[in-house]
Amino acid sequence: MTHVAVVDLGYGDAGKGTVVDWLSSGAGPGGPVHAVVRFNGGAQAAHNVVTPDGRHHVFAQLGSGTFTAGVRTHLSRFMLVDPLALIAEVDHLAAVGVTDALERLTVDRRALLTTPYHAAANRAREVARGEARHGSCGMGVGETVAYALAHADDAPRAGDCGDPHTLRLKLARLRDRLAGELGPLPAPGVDACVEAFGAFAARVTLADDAYLGRLLRAGSVVFEGAQGVLLDEWHGFHPYTTWSTTTFANVDTLLAEAGAPGTAVRLGVLRTYATRHGPGPFVTEDASLTAALPDRHNGHGRWQGAFRVGHLDLVAVRYAIEACGGVDGLALTHLDVAAGRDDLRVCRAYDLGGRRAERLAPGPAGDLDRQAALTRCLFEARPVYGRMEAGAIETVANELDVPVVLGSNGPTVLDKRVLGRLLSRPVPA
Amino acid sequence: MGSGRWSTDVYDAAERYRAARGTSAFAYSDHGATTVHPGLNPFGVRARESRDSAEHPASLAIAVLFDVTGSMNMVPRVLQTKLPELLGLLLRKGYAAHPQILFGAIGDATCDRVPLQIGQFESDNRMDDDLARIVLEGGGGGQKTESYELAMYFMARHTSIDCLERHGRRGYLFMIGDEMPYPRVRAGEVRSIIGDRLSEHIAVEAIVAELTTRYDVYYILPEGTAHAGDRQVLDRWRGLLGQNVIQLDDLDAVCETVALTVGLGEDAIDLDEGLDHLREYGSGAGRSVSRALAAIGAGHGGGTNSLVPADRVLRL
Repeated sequence: MTHVAVVDLGYGDAGKGTVVDWLSSGAGPGGPVHAVVRFNGGAQAAHNVVTPDGRHHVFAQLGSGTFTAGVRTHLSRFMLVDPLALIAEVDHLAAVGVTDALERLTVDRRALLTTPYHAAANRAREVARGEARHGSCGMGVGETVAYALAHADDAPRAGDCGDPHTLRLKLARLRDRLAGELGPLPAPGVDACVEAFGAFAARVTLADDAYLGRLLRAGSVVFEGAQGVLLDEWHGFHPYTTWSTTTFANVDTLLAEAGAPGTAVRLGVLRTYATRHGPGPFVTEDASLTAALPDRHNGHGRWQGAFRVGHLDLVAVRYAIEACGGVDGLALTHLDVAAGRDDLRVCRAYDLGGRRAERLAPGPAGDLDRQAALTRCLFEARPVYGRMEAGAIETVANELDVPVVLGSNGPTVLDKRVLGRLLSRPVPA
Repeated sequence: MGSGRWSTDVYDAAERYRAARGTSAFAYSDHGATTVHPGLNPFGVRARESRDSAEHPASLAIAVLFDVTGSMNMVPRVLQTKLPELLGLLLRKGYAAHPQILFGAIGDATCDRVPLQIGQFESDNRMDDDLARIVLEGGGGGQKTESYELAMYFMARHTSIDCLERHGRRGYLFMIGDEMPYPRVRAGEVRSIIGDRLSEHIAVEAIVAELTTRYDVYYILPEGTAHAGDRQVLDRWRGLLGQNVIQLDDLDAVCETVALTVGLGEDAIDLDEGLDHLREYGSGAGRSVSRALAAIGAGHGGGTNSLVPADRVLRL
């Protein structure tokens, strides 16, 4: 039995879904997987999984291991739960043959709820920002966090869904506060939300504080991160970040609370080239690559903006690895793309107005002024490119001094190749 | 990063949740189910099978059946949430290398709607799904008897287990409850609930004798239940199963107790090691488990299943 935590070392879209799918198939270091635990973000995640028989699903809230029979999903207290998006996802999964996803789902009662009021406020604010938009997905994830920070006791939580009276009070207060700030919001009435969320509570198991500990004792667990470390709320390039902790910090907290600190091996996921969906610094962006490598699962989002492609940026990846406290192994995806092209380069340093920088030192969590200054530097930085002489796998392993343990040549589990051993972490005495 | 691909109209969502198959993980019965789930129905079943496979060359059948009637109060619900840990515990502590676990539930054939529910032997977490589908009765008779004899009849005659049939080693059967069996397996109940035609009733002593040739059978009595510590209940089970009656004062330790018993039987551990594991878990059940299992540990000497190949004993 081995727990594995998976994060994306870029801006998202590296292939966490396909890696979690592979781990959940039982091929990983922990053997058969009991459950996938989500530990950050919300329904804006878009983790693509394709089965060998050609079925495709974009996992948003359900764990990307759901195609494997019996693998459960647990939404931890750090997850932002959107019951309206969830049922749409469940319905799609049923259409591709997975009919018991809700039966295999548990939700921590303390998890925050994302509601239509949060989404409406999110969109109203992004419209007001105009060209200076932050690249939000428009689903209200940031609003959910912001409201909970300001009004922790009034924030609707998953556990409230089973209590119509409390839920109605909380939703009405939420709607009134947001409308007071932003003007009337195009959102449905409170009663309609109470009914829908109540139906959610009747179909999904709401779990207490002790549940995760039991889950961890019951079998191997995969912690599935959302977004990417370079979008982290504290270590990302402010303000082009997500309102979510995308490093291993939440996993560390959950394991410690469950009495199993340090028991997950840490796997970083990386593409052989770089991508960024939405605005913000992207030093190695290359318009010719954006044109040449359109993403089959990402287009121009109305709220999020363009999908951009660039070269492998080892400076940024090194920064991500340091910012998340180190990784035990790497999963390198899109090897098939790299193998078919000779125009992919690798960035080993930045040119900052004549000064060469190979490393960006992470700062302490919480200093957003520092992160904003870093963002300004990155907008000015020019990439210093080299060729990928040794091939992507060796280049990455040598430059980053981290073993590449898994290679991905395509979207299904059959396209995965084990390249190294992801050792389990000893349980500290 | 994503794009918010999935969205539903709020007016639509409630209806879609209601229409969605499935219920919460422990809530087949919470959502009004009053009949046995098709996957757990013993009627017409030739045999529940525990089989070797390439992956599990030396399977070990372990069945856990618990009383789901009202006299047990919250016990079945706690068991439903605790028992999923059993497989992981057996494997992690090396108590068994290839366990295959079956969950089932015992009611009262004289008055319950769901007198017997029997899942499948599984070697991965699919048995949890069976657990979730168990209907909790909550009816319960007031006469200190439940249809344990019917469950024992099913396990004796309608299971086929490779550990016995290929390797000559009995499986393990645990019954968790707080009441006594009826004195006879009644032909009419067997016919209506399991589907077999018997020419006569079978005395419970006879079915126990038959069952114990196939399984090491244990009865676990959780304390704090309606009849816990009831001398009449304890004496009845001791008369049937001898020392294999375990009083458990901490229901949270039910998996540890089952796992420890298997570990002792498999000779994978001795009692002291097992009790260390319990303390490690922080269970207060050590004393009662120790008391209950001391006899078993001693009685087994080298273990009833003493022919454990070395490669099946994983020592941590």
